Amino acid sequence: MTFEECRLLIPAYLSGQLPAAEKAAFEVQLETNAELRIELEELRAVWDGLKLLPEEEPSAELRARFYQRLSEVNRERRQSFRGEFAWWKPGLSGLIRQAAIAIILFGLGIYAGRMNRDSHTQAQDIAEMRTQVQSLRSIVALSLLDRQSATSRLEGVAWSSRVERPDSQLLAALLRALNHDANVNVRLSSLDALEKFSGDPEVRKSLVESIPIQESPLVQIALIDALVHARDSAAVMELKKLTGDQDLNIAVRQRARWGVERLSAN
Amino acid sequence: MSSESDSALMQLVQAGDTAQLAVLFERHHVGLFRYLLALGRDRALAEDLVQEVFFRVIKYARTYDPKLAFSVWLYGMARNVYFDSHRKRRSERFSGNAGEIESSELMPEETIRQKQDVAFLREALAKLPGDKREVLVLSRYHDMRYEDIARVMRCEVGAVKVRVYRALKELREHFCELRGEKLYDV
Repeated sequence: MTFEECRLLIPAYLSGQLPAAEKAAFEVQLETNAELRIELEELRAVWDGLKLLPEEEPSAELRARFYQRLSEVNRERRQSFRGEFAWWKPGLSGLIRQAAIAIILFGLGIYAGRMNRDSHTQAQDIAEMRTQVQSLRSIVALSLLDRQSATSRLEGVAWSSRVERPDSQLLAALLRALNHDANVNVRLSSLDALEKFSGDPEVRKSLVESIPIQESPLVQIALIDALVHARDSAAVMELKKLTGDQDLNIAVRQRARWGVERLSAN
Repeated sequence: MSSESDSALMQLVQAGDTAQLAVLFERHHVGLFRYLLALGRDRALAEDLVQEVFFRVIKYARTYDPKLAFSVWLYGMARNVYFDSHRKRRSERFSGNAGEIESSELMPEETIRQKQDVAFLREALAKLPGDKREVLVLSRYHDMRYEDIARVMRCEVGAVKVRVYRALKELREHFCELRGEKLYDV
């Protein structure tokens, strides 16, 4: 390998892209060639420095504009699909009276039928759009909840709260966030989102099961409040355990005691 | 749903399930925005083009080959979108102002008069010609392998290797120039 060939390999070496054999040959050259070592270190400084540059973020408006346009595209696609099946086109020749009357009557019949069909189609459109918006929100929420950045996951929780009837996948993702997210704000937000669905016995059961998993006093207190608010007497046993746990934060034990009293009084 | 691979999601989009585009958007829009920003150095334009790229994904979904990495196909499309828009803007400028020599497109962004190296490096990057900035951005910020960069830029792998080296070398020259250092070429 010549010196010139070696120089061209420097960026690939820095980015770890060199195959093993080429890397070995390059390193042999490095040991013997001082010029190559100097150039490698000079370029390494710039290469490493590039990672220190602040990364630009797109504005929040980009996401909003995208979803608006996606919704429009989906609507247009639905309408064009229906258009392919349109079989009726209005028309009147009016050559002879009898034929004209027959056509008018036929037309009136079609008109009446169409009016009925339009109102039905509109209602269907609205229902479809609503379902589609809900589905999109759910997809966005799931995707954001899966992100590495806590800010994105908080956004994911916010999107989930816009879903009127979350499916089991979204509820599972929120519960996962409540029980295992590394960020306490995400856990608290997930609890807020889940509290909206505490009418669902499965959600309430999962909230009770979450109590022993939680370590943050903030989340523990918020969970106690949520269960008391949901009047879930099944939580009494778990709350009693908290009142007796001397390792727990005193504020949590006091809140658990309050919770037991409130739920027992119901 | 969110754990599906890009390729699997793209195949659903191909089958008409355009809602899946939302997941692909969430995964790729920030990286794509940074790439388009590196090409054009204009935030508003980069955001407009990100939108355009994703709607071209629907339009040209049938041309996607699942054997190719989705990101390579996406960035290749983004590159076309950028150069289409670049040509359009250039012809608009020429028709509105005949004879004017276009010079601002690949010139550095507003000079940042700070003394920190990061600011100098940022400025040096902005000084690079578009094609050199592009290979560096794809290689450094998108961790693309040379083979994939070659597919995006439609050139040979060997050409990518040379371009990345020259780009890095020129970046260092600009950087040293800005720091007022004398260069001793090896």
